[in-house]
Amino acid sequence: MATETDRSTTEGFGQVSRTVGTVFRYLLLVATLSGIVALAVLLAYVFYDAVQPDTAAPGWYLVYFLVLVLPMVVVGLYLRRRTERGLTVGGIALGIPVLGVLFGAGVALLFIDIIPPVAWLGYVIAFLIPFGTIVAIERYRSVPFIAKLVIVTAVFVGSMLAVPGAVASAPILPADWLILVLTLGVPVAVLVWRFLGRTFDAPRWNRIGAALTFVVIAGGGAAAPIIGLGRTSGTVLTMTAVVPFCLYAVVSRYTAAIEADTAATVDEQGVETVAADEQYRPDWLGLGFPVVVIGGMFLGAFLVELFGFAGPQSWVDWQFLTSPHRNAAEEAGVYPAIVGSIMLMIIVALVSFPLGVGAAVYLEEYAPDTWFTRIIDVNISNLAGVPSVVYGLLGLGLFVTYAGSQPGTVLVGGLTLALLILPIVIISAREAIRSVPDGFRQASYGMGATRWQTIKNVILPEAFPGILTGTILALGRAIGETAPLLVIGAPQVFDLPTELSARVGALPLQIYVWATAFASPDFFRKALPAGVIVLLVIMLVMNSVAIVLRNRFERNG
Amino acid sequence: MGSEFEEQLTTQTENAPRELLARVFFFVCAFLSILTTLGIIVVLITESAKFFTLTAPLVGITGKTANVVDFLTGTTWSINEGKFGVLPLVAGTLVIVVGSAAIALPLGLATAIYLSEYASPRVRAYLKPALEILAGVPTVIYGFFALKYITPALSVFFPNIDFFNGLSASIVVGIMIIPMVSSISEDAMNAVPDELRQAGYGLGATKFDVSIGVVVPAAVSGIAASFILALSRAIGETMAVALAAGSTPTLPAVGIVKLAGVVIPYPTTETLSIYLQSIQPMTGAMVQLLFGDITGGGLAYRSLFAIGLTLFVMTLAMNIISDLIAARYREEYE
Repeated sequence: MATETDRSTTEGFGQVSRTVGTVFRYLLLVATLSGIVALAVLLAYVFYDAVQPDTAAPGWYLVYFLVLVLPMVVVGLYLRRRTERGLTVGGIALGIPVLGVLFGAGVALLFIDIIPPVAWLGYVIAFLIPFGTIVAIERYRSVPFIAKLVIVTAVFVGSMLAVPGAVASAPILPADWLILVLTLGVPVAVLVWRFLGRTFDAPRWNRIGAALTFVVIAGGGAAAPIIGLGRTSGTVLTMTAVVPFCLYAVVSRYTAAIEADTAATVDEQGVETVAADEQYRPDWLGLGFPVVVIGGMFLGAFLVELFGFAGPQSWVDWQFLTSPHRNAAEEAGVYPAIVGSIMLMIIVALVSFPLGVGAAVYLEEYAPDTWFTRIIDVNISNLAGVPSVVYGLLGLGLFVTYAGSQPGTVLVGGLTLALLILPIVIISAREAIRSVPDGFRQASYGMGATRWQTIKNVILPEAFPGILTGTILALGRAIGETAPLLVIGAPQVFDLPTELSARVGALPLQIYVWATAFASPDFFRKALPAGVIVLLVIMLVMNSVAIVLRNRFERNG
Repeated sequence: MGSEFEEQLTTQTENAPRELLARVFFFVCAFLSILTTLGIIVVLITESAKFFTLTAPLVGITGKTANVVDFLTGTTWSINEGKFGVLPLVAGTLVIVVGSAAIALPLGLATAIYLSEYASPRVRAYLKPALEILAGVPTVIYGFFALKYITPALSVFFPNIDFFNGLSASIVVGIMIIPMVSSISEDAMNAVPDELRQAGYGLGATKFDVSIGVVVPAAVSGIAASFILALSRAIGETMAVALAAGSTPTLPAVGIVKLAGVVIPYPTTETLSIYLQSIQPMTGAMVQLLFGDITGGGLAYRSLFAIGLTLFVMTLAMNIISDLIAARYREEYE
């Protein structure tokens, strides 16, 4: 072969050293991971300091390993091998009650410490009256829209002024937890009914399901004292944890069955040759997963008590979560801070959600392509880059100096944070609205719908999951903000904020105060790591809810 | 934005009261963002105006004020002595910006190259959310990390480091702005057309050559935009530096050269020692001013708005520059 000699002369031609490329590639990987690893190490340290895992007895770990970790791993592996989505179903089925309990705890403490249920009942009725007026008035098509608007506004103002007071002074009122069963249980039952109606084609069973939901909520409230919970907490927790779990169980059990049925029919017609039980394995077996986990936790607690094994001396404990700030690090807690954060988030959500979605709808659906629209557009992206401390100055100047409000109140803090996250909400809501296919709009207009009808009936429902995800992520950002609260004059030591004009505290603010005004080795060793863990867990929960929502949304879309 | 088709179908109904009400509501929501910006500007300017001698009479303030020139060129910031020279605070901010940039810019750029050119979709799906977490952790927690874990770790290497120091604050600020650099730079690299890469491979270039020689230069305006945006974030970062950087407004030690009568400072090896000392950036000074109860509206209270205005102008300018640069790369390839 002639090429034989050629090759010897051109030895090395076309050969490129791979060393540089390989080194570069690994350098990039190291650089990418360095920030993540640094944060992971810091988080591990703070977790170690807050929970102190080395203070637990070895027997404690052994017991929990045997009754909780081992069964979890075994069942998890079994589910993975046995069914297609079993482990996912199990994870969701476990996540729902866990999130439900956390969320429910937040709602329950609002009704126990902040809003008296009687006042709540008054406002619910005061809202129901104008709502009922709308429903009634919509039947009369001859009444012009303006007249309807005036009537409804008048009824709203009148009932808001008169009804809460009248309800509060009513001679006979139901017990607190019964008020909650009525005011929250009925809407939840209606929601369940509508949800079932969209999922299953069985009106009779759906009605039974809704009725059952209401009975379960009432039953949860009535039975709560048996396991040592208050009736209010029992009602709320049943609603936020038990009901969603049962709903998920029913849906995953029966949709799996329906899918299997469909596959079987296809099979009989000979179109599809894969056997039904091979293709559609019962994923709902995963519903057993939370039973294993929660059962293991209770069994573990019982056994640890029985043998007298000491658990870790965690600084994050019941006492920490339910106490106010105290000057000794061992006794200090974050309860007022948690309540303050929850109240701030309620205001922020109530203000920024409608305004942000409204602005996004205007920019995506109405705005003409003019210089003014472009200014709004550029302005919003610049607002997103303004430092949070400057928003604090805005709040201080606008609400405190000009409007004359007390500094550092719940209302001022909530409004300031709402302004802060408004650009983020607008940007994410715009993306969600933009992702609604144009065909939907055209179909709606083609059927003669007006712009508002299209937005109300087509665009907002379609974009809702995306908007919700963006809003939750933005709220997650707001809950970690400290600087604006400091600027508007939030106090160093705060009590439970019981009304909108009370001075507010928040979790990150509490952390800052402990790290500065109460900076002692004790606080740095005990209360601070615990506070950091609580704040991180809350943020983690909010972010994971948003991510799960986004994933579902993307899969469906 | 409404297409012509939609315009035609909706013109007949668009002035019905219900439609008009909806339109007005949505417009007000959008207009609110303009009002927010105006609010920021008005509040900052009117309150700062009360601070300066030059402008105070215009807004009806008599009594103690500060000179604009003293504010901008003074080298001492001391509320108790009544000296309001912003330079030490700006220097403190610069220390943090330079330090965090030294961490975040190379790491962020490397991350962007890895994610855009090397990582498989599967790896990217895990790395991107993990990176987002870096920016999602509340900054007050980063400040706590710097005080509790990073400073003690640094004192192993630098025994004479202060408890509050610029280095630990720079490190945590650097970590939290990595995602800002990496996500925007990665977007810019993804926008580079594949033809350019293929042309590079066609010439026999390796992946390394293509990444460094083709993709990075082609995406350079996007990368620059991401750098500026990240620096602007570092300037405005508040809680981490307020906790960790300290509360001693300090000018770094510099060499001085006089050129035609103009004093020009230049950094020397001494300058770096500022990172081991307690400093105070602008945002840190603002928080310290606030942590007392200063609702009375004295000179200290008004100085808060003067710093705030300085901060706002700096970050706004950087954001606008970043936007302009980013707009250029979008034009290039789209």
